[in-house]
Amino acid sequence: MEHHPVSLAAASVRRMGPVNWRGLWTLYMKEVRRFLNVFTQTLLAPMVTTLLFLAIFTLALGGGGRQVGGVDFAVFLAPGLIMMAMVQNAFANTSSSLVIAKVQGNIVDILMPPLSPGELTLGIAAGGVTRGLMVGLAVGLGMWLFVPIPIHAPHFIVYHAVMASLMLALLGMIGGIWSEKFDHIAAVTNFVITPFSFLSGTFYSIERLPPVWQTVAHFNPFFYMIDGFRYGFIGHADGSLAIGLVVMALFNVFLWTVTHRMFATGYRLKP
Amino acid sequence: MSLRQTVPPRGMLAFRSWRPLHFRRFNARGFWTHYYHRGVLRFYRFGLELLVGPLVSSLLFILVFGVAQNEHSTIVPGVGLIAFIAPGIILYAIAHTAFQNAAAMLVFEKMEGMISDVQMAPLSPLELVAGYALSSATCGLSVGVLLGIAAAIFVDFSYFDASLVIGFACATALFFGLLGTVVGIWAERWDHYSAVEGFLIAPLGLLSGTFFSVERLPEAFREWIYYNPVFYAIDGFRAGLIGYAESSQALGIGLLLGLSALLALLGWRLFAIGYKIRP
Repeated sequence: MEHHPVSLAAASVRRMGPVNWRGLWTLYMKEVRRFLNVFTQTLLAPMVTTLLFLAIFTLALGGGGRQVGGVDFAVFLAPGLIMMAMVQNAFANTSSSLVIAKVQGNIVDILMPPLSPGELTLGIAAGGVTRGLMVGLAVGLGMWLFVPIPIHAPHFIVYHAVMASLMLALLGMIGGIWSEKFDHIAAVTNFVITPFSFLSGTFYSIERLPPVWQTVAHFNPFFYMIDGFRYGFIGHADGSLAIGLVVMALFNVFLWTVTHRMFATGYRLKP
Repeated sequence: MSLRQTVPPRGMLAFRSWRPLHFRRFNARGFWTHYYHRGVLRFYRFGLELLVGPLVSSLLFILVFGVAQNEHSTIVPGVGLIAFIAPGIILYAIAHTAFQNAAAMLVFEKMEGMISDVQMAPLSPLELVAGYALSSATCGLSVGVLLGIAAAIFVDFSYFDASLVIGFACATALFFGLLGTVVGIWAERWDHYSAVEGFLIAPLGLLSGTFFSVERLPEAFREWIYYNPVFYAIDGFRAGLIGYAESSQALGIGLLLGLSALLALLGWRLFAIGYKIRP
Protein backbone atom coordinates (compact mmCIF):
# COMPACT_ATOMS: atom_id res chain seq x y z
CA MET A 1 0.00 0.00 0.00
CA GLU A 2 1.53 3.32 -1.03
CA HIS A 3 1.21 6.17 1.38
CA HIS A 4 2.40 9.02 -0.82
CA PRO A 5 -0.29 11.53 -1.75
CA VAL A 6 -2.16 10.64 -4.89
CA SER A 7 -2.65 13.38 -7.40
CA LEU A 8 -6.19 14.03 -8.51
CA ALA A 9 -5.46 13.00 -12.06
CA ALA A 10 -4.30 9.57 -10.91
CA ALA A 11 -7.41 8.96 -8.85
CA SER A 12 -9.92 6.98 -10.78
CA VAL A 13 -13.27 5.51 -9.91
CA ARG A 14 -12.91 2.07 -8.48
CA ARG A 15 -14.70 -0.47 -10.59
CA MET A 16 -16.08 -3.62 -9.14
CA GLY A 17 -17.83 -6.55 -10.69
CA PRO A 18 -21.11 -8.00 -9.49
CA VAL A 19 -19.58 -8.64 -6.04
CA ASN A 20 -17.47 -6.16 -4.10
CA TRP A 21 -14.98 -8.78 -2.95
CA ARG A 22 -12.62 -6.40 -1.24
CA GLY A 23 -15.43 -4.77 0.73
CA LEU A 24 -16.89 -8.13 1.63
CA TRP A 25 -13.53 -9.41 2.88
CA THR A 26 -12.97 -6.20 4.89
CA LEU A 27 -16.37 -6.51 6.54
CA TYR A 28 -15.78 -10.20 7.29
CA MET A 29 -12.35 -9.56 8.80
CA LYS A 30 -13.77 -6.69 10.89
CA GLU A 31 -16.29 -9.13 12.36
CA VAL A 32 -13.64 -11.79 13.01
CA ARG A 33 -11.11 -9.40 14.54
CA ARG A 34 -13.81 -8.01 16.77
CA PHE A 35 -14.11 -11.29 18.66
CA LEU A 36 -10.50 -12.45 18.32
CA ASN A 37 -9.39 -9.26 20.06
CA VAL A 38 -11.08 -10.45 23.24
CA PHE A 39 -10.56 -14.17 22.79
CA THR A 40 -10.58 -14.93 26.54
CA GLN A 41 -14.14 -13.67 26.61
CA THR A 42 -15.29 -15.09 23.29
CA LEU A 43 -13.43 -18.42 22.98
CA LEU A 44 -11.92 -19.53 26.29
CA ALA A 45 -14.75 -18.54 28.64
CA PRO A 46 -17.40 -20.49 26.65
CA MET A 47 -15.04 -23.44 26.57
CA VAL A 48 -14.57 -23.46 30.35
CA THR A 49 -18.28 -22.98 31.03
CA THR A 50 -19.23 -25.81 28.69
CA LEU A 51 -16.71 -28.18 30.27
CA LEU A 52 -18.15 -27.28 33.68
CA PHE A 53 -21.63 -28.06 32.39
CA LEU A 54 -20.41 -31.45 31.19
CA ALA A 55 -18.89 -32.12 34.61
CA ILE A 56 -21.93 -31.18 36.64
CA PHE A 57 -24.49 -32.91 34.44
CA THR A 58 -22.43 -36.08 34.36
CA LEU A 59 -21.91 -36.02 38.12
CA ALA A 60 -25.55 -35.29 38.88
CA LEU A 61 -27.28 -37.47 36.30
CA GLY A 62 -24.79 -40.01 34.99
CA GLY A 63 -24.60 -42.20 38.08
CA GLY A 64 -24.84 -45.98 37.94
CA GLY A 65 -23.26 -46.38 34.50
CA ARG A 66 -26.32 -44.77 32.93
CA GLN A 67 -26.76 -45.24 29.19
CA VAL A 68 -28.71 -42.97 26.87
CA GLY A 69 -29.15 -43.74 23.17
CA GLY A 70 -26.80 -46.71 23.49
CA VAL A 71 -23.83 -44.75 24.85
CA ASP A 72 -22.62 -43.42 28.19
CA PHE A 73 -24.49 -40.39 29.44
CA ALA A 74 -21.40 -38.16 29.15
CA VAL A 75 -20.90 -39.20 25.50
CA PHE A 76 -24.57 -38.54 24.80
CA LEU A 77 -24.32 -35.12 26.42
CA ALA A 78 -21.07 -33.91 24.84
CA PRO A 79 -22.29 -33.25 21.25
CA GLY A 80 -25.33 -31.36 22.51
CA LEU A 81 -23.20 -29.15 24.73
CA ILE A 82 -20.78 -28.44 21.89
CA MET A 83 -23.73 -27.46 19.71
CA MET A 84 -25.20 -25.22 22.42
CA ALA A 85 -21.90 -23.39 22.84
CA MET A 86 -21.59 -22.94 19.07
CA VAL A 87 -25.04 -21.55 18.49
CA GLN A 88 -25.03 -19.26 21.52
CA ASN A 89 -21.75 -17.73 20.39
CA ALA A 90 -22.80 -17.40 16.76
CA PHE A 91 -25.91 -15.57 17.96
CA ALA A 92 -23.98 -13.40 20.40
CA ASN A 93 -21.49 -12.34 17.74
CA THR A 94 -23.87 -11.00 15.12
CA SER A 95 -26.45 -9.60 17.54
CA SER A 96 -23.94 -7.74 19.71
CA SER A 97 -22.12 -6.42 16.67
CA LEU A 98 -25.29 -4.86 15.27
CA VAL A 99 -26.78 -3.64 18.55
CA ILE A 100 -23.54 -2.01 19.70
CA ALA A 101 -23.11 -0.40 16.28
CA LYS A 102 -26.66 0.94 16.41
CA VAL A 103 -26.49 2.20 20.00
CA GLN A 104 -23.13 3.87 19.45
CA GLY A 105 -24.13 5.22 16.07
CA ASN A 106 -21.31 3.67 14.08
CA ILE A 107 -23.76 1.56 12.09
CA VAL A 108 -23.35 4.19 9.35
CA ASP A 109 -19.83 2.85 8.85
CA ILE A 110 -21.21 -0.37 7.46
CA LEU A 111 -24.19 1.20 5.69
CA MET A 112 -22.20 3.87 3.81
CA PRO A 113 -19.58 1.71 2.05
CA PRO A 114 -20.50 0.26 -1.33
CA LEU A 115 -21.84 -2.99 0.07
CA SER A 116 -25.08 -4.47 -1.21
CA PRO A 117 -27.65 -5.99 1.20
CA GLY A 118 -26.48 -9.45 0.11
CA GLU A 119 -22.86 -8.62 0.86
CA LEU A 120 -23.79 -7.18 4.26
CA THR A 121 -25.76 -10.30 5.13
CA LEU A 122 -22.98 -12.62 3.98
CA GLY A 123 -20.12 -10.72 5.61
CA ILE A 124 -21.71 -10.37 9.05
CA ALA A 125 -23.22 -13.86 9.05
CA ALA A 126 -19.88 -15.39 8.06
CA GLY A 127 -18.28 -13.65 11.04
CA GLY A 128 -20.82 -15.26 13.35
CA VAL A 129 -20.39 -18.67 11.72
CA THR A 130 -16.63 -18.39 12.13
CA ARG A 131 -16.96 -17.68 15.83
CA GLY A 132 -19.45 -20.52 16.25
CA LEU A 133 -17.18 -23.01 14.52
CA MET A 134 -14.09 -21.86 16.41
CA VAL A 135 -15.89 -22.17 19.75
CA GLY A 136 -17.20 -25.58 18.69
CA LEU A 137 -13.71 -26.74 17.82
CA ALA A 138 -12.25 -25.43 21.08
CA VAL A 139 -15.02 -27.00 23.17
CA GLY A 140 -14.82 -30.27 21.24
CA LEU A 141 -11.07 -30.56 21.76
CA GLY A 142 -11.46 -29.72 25.45
CA MET A 143 -14.10 -32.40 25.91
CA TRP A 144 -12.17 -34.95 23.93
CA LEU A 145 -9.54 -34.90 26.69
CA PHE A 146 -12.09 -36.16 29.22
CA VAL A 147 -14.72 -38.05 27.27
CA PRO A 148 -13.99 -40.56 24.49
CA ILE A 149 -16.27 -39.10 21.82
CA PRO A 150 -16.58 -41.39 18.80
CA ILE A 151 -17.01 -40.03 15.25
CA HIS A 152 -19.61 -41.86 13.23
CA ALA A 153 -20.47 -39.66 10.25
CA PRO A 154 -18.25 -36.58 9.75
CA HIS A 155 -20.40 -35.10 6.99
CA PHE A 156 -23.35 -34.85 9.39
CA ILE A 157 -21.14 -33.12 11.94
CA VAL A 158 -19.90 -30.55 9.44
CA TYR A 159 -23.29 -29.95 7.82
CA HIS A 160 -25.12 -29.39 11.09
CA ALA A 161 -22.30 -27.35 12.62
CA VAL A 162 -22.29 -24.93 9.68
CA MET A 163 -26.07 -24.83 9.26
CA ALA A 164 -26.75 -24.33 12.96
CA SER A 165 -24.13 -21.59 13.31
CA LEU A 166 -25.53 -19.89 10.21
CA MET A 167 -29.08 -20.16 11.50
CA LEU A 168 -28.23 -18.54 14.82
CA ALA A 169 -25.98 -15.96 13.17
CA LEU A 170 -28.92 -14.94 10.97
CA LEU A 171 -31.30 -14.94 13.95
CA GLY A 172 -28.78 -12.75 15.75
CA MET A 173 -28.79 -10.33 12.84
CA ILE A 174 -32.57 -10.19 12.72
CA GLY A 175 -32.69 -9.69 16.49
CA GLY A 176 -29.92 -7.10 16.33
CA ILE A 177 -31.62 -5.09 13.59
CA TRP A 178 -34.95 -5.24 15.38
CA SER A 179 -33.52 -4.20 18.76
CA GLU A 180 -33.24 -0.55 19.60
CA LYS A 181 -31.69 -1.01 23.04
CA PHE A 182 -29.66 -3.65 24.82
CA ASP A 183 -32.83 -4.58 26.72
CA HIS A 184 -34.51 -5.74 23.54
CA ILE A 185 -31.76 -8.10 22.48
CA ALA A 186 -31.47 -9.36 26.07
CA ALA A 187 -35.17 -10.19 25.95
CA VAL A 188 -34.68 -12.14 22.70
CA THR A 189 -31.80 -14.06 24.28
CA ASN A 190 -33.67 -14.78 27.51
CA PHE A 191 -37.05 -15.66 26.09
CA VAL A 192 -36.24 -17.22 22.73
CA ILE A 193 -32.67 -18.45 22.38
CA THR A 194 -32.03 -19.81 25.89
CA PRO A 195 -35.34 -21.71 26.24
CA PHE A 196 -35.15 -23.16 22.72
CA SER A 197 -31.60 -24.36 23.21
CA PHE A 198 -32.18 -25.75 26.71
CA LEU A 199 -35.35 -27.58 25.74
CA SER A 200 -33.95 -29.00 22.52
CA GLY A 201 -32.92 -32.43 23.72
CA THR A 202 -29.34 -31.61 24.66
CA PHE A 203 -29.75 -33.02 28.13
CA TYR A 204 -32.21 -35.83 27.54
CA SER A 205 -33.50 -38.10 24.85
CA ILE A 206 -36.90 -36.74 23.86
CA GLU A 207 -38.40 -40.20 24.39
CA ARG A 208 -38.42 -39.18 28.04
CA LEU A 209 -40.95 -36.43 27.38
CA PRO A 210 -44.72 -36.89 27.62
CA PRO A 211 -46.22 -37.61 24.15
CA VAL A 212 -47.65 -34.12 23.71
CA TRP A 213 -44.29 -32.51 24.36
CA GLN A 214 -42.58 -34.96 22.01
CA THR A 215 -44.75 -33.60 19.22
CA VAL A 216 -43.96 -30.04 20.26
CA ALA A 217 -40.23 -30.85 20.31
CA HIS A 218 -40.43 -31.92 16.68
CA PHE A 219 -41.38 -28.36 15.74
CA ASN A 220 -38.27 -26.94 17.42
CA PRO A 221 -35.56 -26.45 14.79
CA PHE A 222 -32.98 -26.59 17.59
CA PHE A 223 -34.01 -30.19 18.15
CA TYR A 224 -33.04 -31.19 14.59
CA MET A 225 -29.67 -29.52 14.67
CA ILE A 226 -28.67 -31.11 17.95
CA ASP A 227 -30.11 -34.47 16.94
CA GLY A 228 -28.35 -34.52 13.56
CA PHE A 229 -25.10 -33.24 15.02
CA ARG A 230 -25.19 -35.89 17.73
CA TYR A 231 -25.94 -38.57 15.11
CA GLY A 232 -22.68 -37.59 13.43
CA PHE A 233 -20.85 -38.57 16.62
CA ILE A 234 -22.69 -41.46 18.22
CA GLY A 235 -24.70 -42.85 15.30
CA HIS A 236 -28.04 -42.66 17.09
CA ALA A 237 -30.80 -40.16 16.37
CA ASP A 238 -34.12 -39.51 18.08
CA GLY A 239 -35.83 -38.00 15.05
CA SER A 240 -35.64 -38.38 11.28
CA LEU A 241 -32.28 -37.41 9.80
CA ALA A 242 -33.65 -36.53 6.37
CA ILE A 243 -36.23 -34.19 7.85
CA GLY A 244 -33.45 -32.59 9.90
CA LEU A 245 -31.33 -31.88 6.82
CA VAL A 246 -34.27 -30.34 4.97
CA VAL A 247 -35.56 -28.33 7.94
CA MET A 248 -32.17 -26.78 8.55
CA ALA A 249 -31.71 -25.85 4.89
CA LEU A 250 -35.21 -24.39 4.50
CA PHE A 251 -35.03 -22.47 7.75
CA ASN A 252 -31.75 -20.92 6.72
CA VAL A 253 -33.11 -19.89 3.33
CA PHE A 254 -36.08 -18.28 5.05
CA LEU A 255 -33.94 -16.43 7.61
CA TRP A 256 -31.50 -15.32 4.92
CA THR A 257 -34.36 -13.84 2.90
CA VAL A 258 -35.69 -11.98 5.92
CA THR A 259 -32.25 -10.57 6.81
CA HIS A 260 -31.64 -9.57 3.21
CA ARG A 261 -34.98 -7.75 3.09
CA MET A 262 -34.19 -5.95 6.35
CA PHE A 263 -30.91 -4.61 4.96
CA ALA A 264 -32.50 -3.80 1.60
CA THR A 265 -35.37 -1.80 3.09
CA GLY A 266 -33.26 -0.34 5.90
CA TYR A 267 -35.74 -1.49 8.55
CA ARG A 268 -34.68 0.18 11.83
CA LEU A 269 -31.31 0.89 10.24
CA LYS A 270 -31.89 3.90 8.04
CA PRO A 271 -34.03 6.84 9.11
CA MET B 1 -13.75 14.94 63.92
CA SER B 2 -13.74 16.48 60.51
CA LEU B 3 -16.71 18.40 59.26
CA ARG B 4 -17.34 17.81 55.59
CA GLN B 5 -19.39 20.32 53.69
CA THR B 6 -20.68 20.44 50.14
CA VAL B 7 -20.05 23.41 47.93
CA PRO B 8 -23.38 24.75 46.67
CA PRO B 9 -23.92 24.83 42.92
CA ARG B 10 -23.77 28.36 41.59
CA GLY B 11 -27.37 28.76 40.58
CA MET B 12 -28.59 27.65 43.96
CA LEU B 13 -26.94 30.44 45.94
CA ALA B 14 -29.82 32.72 45.16
CA PHE B 15 -32.31 30.18 46.37
CA ARG B 16 -33.32 31.40 49.82
CA SER B 17 -34.13 28.14 51.52
CA TRP B 18 -30.84 26.59 50.50
CA ARG B 19 -28.64 25.53 53.36
CA PRO B 20 -25.30 23.79 53.08
CA LEU B 21 -25.51 20.06 53.69
CA HIS B 22 -23.78 19.28 56.96
CA PHE B 23 -22.87 15.80 57.94
CA ARG B 24 -20.46 14.36 60.42
CA ARG B 25 -19.28 10.80 60.37
CA PHE B 26 -21.63 9.38 57.84
CA ASN B 27 -23.07 11.05 54.76
CA ALA B 28 -26.42 9.32 54.99
CA ARG B 29 -28.07 11.15 52.11
CA GLY B 30 -25.09 10.61 49.84
CA PHE B 31 -24.95 6.97 50.74
CA TRP B 32 -28.66 6.52 50.09
CA THR B 33 -28.37 8.20 46.69
CA HIS B 34 -25.45 5.98 45.81
CA TYR B 35 -27.03 2.83 47.17
CA TYR B 36 -30.62 3.23 46.09
CA HIS B 37 -30.83 5.60 43.15
CA ARG B 38 -27.65 4.56 41.38
CA GLY B 39 -27.50 0.92 42.42
CA VAL B 40 -30.90 -0.55 43.07
CA LEU B 41 -33.10 1.60 40.81
CA ARG B 42 -30.70 1.11 37.93
CA PHE B 43 -31.11 -2.62 38.37
CA TYR B 44 -34.90 -2.44 38.28
CA ARG B 45 -34.82 -0.16 35.25
CA PHE B 46 -33.10 -2.95 33.35
CA GLY B 47 -35.36 -5.49 35.01
CA LEU B 48 -36.00 -7.50 31.88
CA GLU B 49 -32.34 -8.09 31.31
CA LEU B 50 -30.98 -8.29 34.83
CA LEU B 51 -33.85 -9.69 36.87
CA VAL B 52 -35.83 -11.86 34.49
CA GLY B 53 -32.78 -13.23 32.67
CA PRO B 54 -31.30 -15.16 35.61
CA LEU B 55 -34.82 -16.14 36.67
CA VAL B 56 -35.61 -17.79 33.33
CA SER B 57 -32.27 -19.54 32.93
CA SER B 58 -32.28 -20.85 36.51
CA LEU B 59 -35.81 -22.22 36.15
CA LEU B 60 -34.83 -23.84 32.84
CA PHE B 61 -31.91 -25.48 34.60
CA ILE B 62 -34.20 -26.95 37.25
CA LEU B 63 -36.67 -28.04 34.56
CA VAL B 64 -34.00 -29.73 32.46
CA PHE B 65 -32.72 -31.67 35.47
CA GLY B 66 -36.29 -32.67 36.22
CA VAL B 67 -36.79 -34.13 32.75
CA ALA B 68 -33.35 -35.72 32.43
CA GLN B 69 -33.33 -37.52 35.77
CA ASN B 70 -34.07 -41.22 35.94
CA GLU B 71 -34.62 -43.73 38.72
CA HIS B 72 -30.85 -43.92 39.41
CA SER B 73 -30.50 -40.15 39.74
CA THR B 74 -30.58 -39.66 43.44
CA ILE B 75 -27.68 -37.76 44.84
CA VAL B 76 -28.42 -38.42 48.48
CA PRO B 77 -30.72 -41.24 49.57
CA GLY B 78 -34.06 -39.93 50.72
CA VAL B 79 -33.68 -36.52 49.09
CA GLY B 80 -35.14 -35.94 45.64
CA LEU B 81 -32.73 -34.82 42.93
CA ILE B 82 -34.58 -31.56 42.28
CA ALA B 83 -34.92 -30.76 45.98
CA PHE B 84 -31.18 -31.29 46.29
CA ILE B 85 -30.06 -29.09 43.40
CA ALA B 86 -32.70 -26.31 43.49
CA PRO B 87 -31.22 -24.53 46.56
CA GLY B 88 -27.79 -24.45 44.93
CA ILE B 89 -29.21 -23.03 41.70
CA ILE B 90 -31.08 -20.34 43.63
CA LEU B 91 -28.01 -19.37 45.64
CA TYR B 92 -25.82 -19.34 42.52
CA ALA B 93 -28.27 -16.94 40.86
CA ILE B 94 -28.07 -14.68 43.94
CA ALA B 95 -24.26 -14.83 43.99
CA HIS B 96 -23.85 -14.29 40.27
CA THR B 97 -26.24 -11.34 40.16
CA ALA B 98 -24.57 -9.74 43.18
CA PHE B 99 -21.14 -10.13 41.60
CA GLN B 100 -22.25 -9.02 38.16
CA ASN B 101 -23.95 -5.83 39.28
CA ALA B 102 -21.16 -4.33 41.30
CA ALA B 103 -18.46 -5.32 38.83
CA ALA B 104 -20.34 -4.33 35.68
CA MET B 105 -21.40 -1.01 37.21
CA LEU B 106 -17.80 -0.11 38.07
CA VAL B 107 -16.34 -1.24 34.74
CA PHE B 108 -19.04 0.67 32.87
CA GLU B 109 -18.42 3.83 34.88
CA LYS B 110 -14.68 3.58 34.35
CA MET B 111 -14.97 2.93 30.62
CA GLU B 112 -17.43 5.78 30.08
CA GLY B 113 -15.53 8.15 32.36
CA MET B 114 -18.46 8.57 34.72
CA ILE B 115 -16.44 7.31 37.67
CA SER B 116 -15.41 10.91 38.30
CA ASP B 117 -19.03 11.70 39.24
CA VAL B 118 -18.73 9.18 42.03
CA GLN B 119 -15.27 10.34 43.02
CA MET B 120 -16.35 13.98 43.18
CA ALA B 121 -19.33 13.35 45.41
CA PRO B 122 -18.69 13.84 49.13
CA LEU B 123 -18.53 10.12 49.80
CA SER B 124 -15.81 8.52 51.86
CA PRO B 125 -14.09 5.37 50.53
CA LEU B 126 -16.03 3.28 53.01
CA GLU B 127 -19.33 4.78 51.88
CA LEU B 128 -18.38 4.01 48.29
CA VAL B 129 -17.61 0.35 49.01
CA ALA B 130 -20.79 0.00 51.03
CA GLY B 131 -22.85 1.64 48.29
CA TYR B 132 -21.59 -0.64 45.54
CA ALA B 133 -21.55 -3.85 47.55
CA LEU B 134 -24.84 -3.44 49.38
CA SER B 135 -26.77 -2.30 46.32
CA SER B 136 -25.67 -5.30 44.30
CA ALA B 137 -26.28 -7.59 47.25
CA THR B 138 -29.83 -6.21 47.30
CA CYS B 139 -30.19 -6.92 43.59
CA GLY B 140 -28.94 -10.47 44.09
CA LEU B 141 -31.41 -11.01 46.90
CA SER B 142 -34.26 -9.69 44.72
CA VAL B 143 -33.47 -12.37 42.16
CA GLY B 144 -33.26 -14.91 44.98
CA VAL B 145 -36.66 -14.04 46.43
CA LEU B 146 -38.42 -14.25 43.06
CA LEU B 147 -36.62 -17.44 42.11
CA GLY B 148 -37.32 -19.00 45.49
CA ILE B 149 -41.04 -18.28 45.16
CA ALA B 150 -41.11 -19.65 41.61
CA ALA B 151 -39.15 -22.77 42.57
CA ALA B 152 -41.32 -23.42 45.63
CA ILE B 153 -44.22 -24.08 43.25
CA PHE B 154 -42.76 -27.38 42.14
CA VAL B 155 -40.09 -28.17 44.73
CA ASP B 156 -40.92 -29.21 48.26
CA PHE B 157 -39.34 -26.74 50.66
CA SER B 158 -41.64 -27.60 53.57
CA TYR B 159 -38.64 -27.89 55.89
CA PHE B 160 -37.93 -24.18 56.12
CA ASP B 161 -35.53 -22.71 58.62
CA ALA B 162 -35.87 -18.98 58.07
CA SER B 163 -32.80 -17.95 60.04
CA LEU B 164 -30.50 -20.26 58.06
CA VAL B 165 -32.03 -19.38 54.69
CA ILE B 166 -31.97 -15.63 55.25
CA GLY B 167 -28.59 -15.71 56.98
CA PHE B 168 -26.83 -17.64 54.24
CA ALA B 169 -28.57 -15.77 51.41
CA CYS B 170 -27.55 -12.40 52.88
CA ALA B 171 -23.98 -13.46 53.70
CA THR B 172 -23.49 -14.89 50.19
CA ALA B 173 -24.97 -11.82 48.53
CA LEU B 174 -22.72 -9.58 50.62
CA PHE B 175 -19.62 -11.64 49.87
CA PHE B 176 -20.23 -11.62 46.13
CA GLY B 177 -21.23 -7.95 46.13
CA LEU B 178 -17.88 -7.12 47.73
CA LEU B 179 -16.02 -9.47 45.40
CA GLY B 180 -17.70 -7.75 42.45
CA THR B 181 -16.68 -4.35 43.81
CA VAL B 182 -13.03 -5.34 44.14
CA VAL B 183 -13.00 -7.01 40.71
CA GLY B 184 -14.73 -3.96 39.23
CA ILE B 185 -12.03 -1.67 40.61
CA TRP B 186 -9.32 -3.94 39.20
CA ALA B 187 -10.81 -4.63 35.75
CA GLU B 188 -9.97 -2.12 33.04
CA ARG B 189 -11.96 -3.59 30.17
CA TRP B 190 -14.93 -5.83 29.62
CA ASP B 191 -12.82 -8.85 28.82
CA HIS B 192 -11.04 -8.56 32.18
CA TYR B 193 -14.41 -8.65 33.82
CA SER B 194 -15.60 -11.64 31.83
CA ALA B 195 -12.34 -13.48 32.42
CA VAL B 196 -13.00 -13.31 36.15
CA GLU B 197 -16.60 -14.30 35.58
CA GLY B 198 -15.68 -17.27 33.39
CA PHE B 199 -12.58 -18.52 35.15
CA LEU B 200 -13.36 -17.77 38.79
CA ILE B 201 -17.06 -17.24 39.48
CA ALA B 202 -18.43 -20.00 37.24
CA PRO B 203 -16.03 -22.71 38.49
CA LEU B 204 -16.48 -21.67 42.13
CA GLY B 205 -20.24 -21.62 41.73
CA LEU B 206 -20.74 -24.73 39.61
CA LEU B 207 -18.19 -27.01 41.30
CA SER B 208 -19.55 -26.21 44.71
CA GLY B 209 -21.65 -29.20 45.54
CA THR B 210 -24.82 -27.90 43.94
CA PHE B 211 -25.00 -30.85 41.63
CA PHE B 212 -23.32 -33.61 43.61
CA SER B 213 -22.74 -34.71 47.15
CA VAL B 214 -19.16 -34.80 48.33
CA GLU B 215 -19.14 -38.62 48.37
CA ARG B 216 -19.96 -38.65 44.66
CA LEU B 217 -16.70 -36.90 43.79
CA PRO B 218 -13.57 -38.76 42.74
CA GLU B 219 -11.14 -39.14 45.66
CA ALA B 220 -8.66 -36.63 44.27
CA PHE B 221 -11.17 -33.76 44.25
CA ARG B 222 -12.87 -34.48 47.55
CA GLU B 223 -10.34 -32.47 49.57
CA TRP B 224 -10.43 -29.51 47.21
CA ILE B 225 -14.07 -28.80 47.63
CA TYR B 226 -13.50 -27.90 51.27
CA TYR B 227 -11.42 -24.94 50.06
CA ASN B 228 -14.35 -23.53 48.10
CA PRO B 229 -16.29 -21.02 50.22
CA VAL B 230 -19.30 -21.37 47.92
CA PHE B 231 -19.54 -25.00 49.01
CA TYR B 232 -20.26 -23.91 52.59
CA ALA B 233 -22.65 -21.22 51.40
CA ILE B 234 -24.70 -23.63 49.31
CA ASP B 235 -24.59 -26.32 51.95
CA GLY B 236 -25.87 -23.98 54.65
CA PHE B 237 -28.56 -22.54 52.39
CA ARG B 238 -29.66 -26.03 51.41
CA ALA B 239 -29.73 -27.04 55.09
CA GLY B 240 -32.19 -24.23 55.68
CA LEU B 241 -34.44 -25.28 52.81
CA ILE B 242 -34.46 -29.08 52.93
CA GLY B 243 -32.71 -29.91 56.20
CA TYR B 244 -29.80 -31.86 54.74
CA ALA B 245 -26.27 -30.64 55.42
CA GLU B 246 -22.76 -31.93 54.81
CA SER B 247 -20.78 -29.34 56.74
CA SER B 248 -21.04 -27.12 59.78
CA GLN B 249 -23.27 -24.06 59.38
CA ALA B 250 -21.38 -22.08 62.00
CA LEU B 251 -18.15 -22.61 60.08
CA GLY B 252 -19.88 -21.63 56.84
CA ILE B 253 -21.35 -18.38 58.07
CA GLY B 254 -18.12 -17.51 59.88
CA LEU B 255 -16.09 -18.13 56.74
CA LEU B 256 -18.40 -16.02 54.55
CA LEU B 257 -18.47 -13.12 56.98
CA GLY B 258 -14.71 -13.30 57.59
CA LEU B 259 -13.94 -13.27 53.86
CA SER B 260 -16.45 -10.44 53.40
CA ALA B 261 -14.67 -8.40 56.06
CA LEU B 262 -11.35 -8.96 54.27
CA LEU B 263 -12.82 -7.94 50.93
CA ALA B 264 -14.47 -4.89 52.46
CA LEU B 265 -11.14 -3.84 53.91
CA LEU B 266 -9.44 -4.38 50.57
CA GLY B 267 -12.12 -2.45 48.67
CA TRP B 268 -11.96 0.39 51.18
CA ARG B 269 -8.17 0.67 50.78
CA LEU B 270 -8.41 0.49 46.99
CA PHE B 271 -10.92 3.35 46.89
CA ALA B 272 -8.87 5.30 49.40
CA ILE B 273 -5.68 5.16 47.32
CA GLY B 274 -7.64 5.49 44.06
CA TYR B 275 -6.22 2.26 42.60
CA LYS B 276 -6.81 2.21 38.82
CA ILE B 277 -9.33 5.02 39.23
CA ARG B 278 -7.39 8.19 39.90
CA PRO B 279 -4.65 8.92 37.39
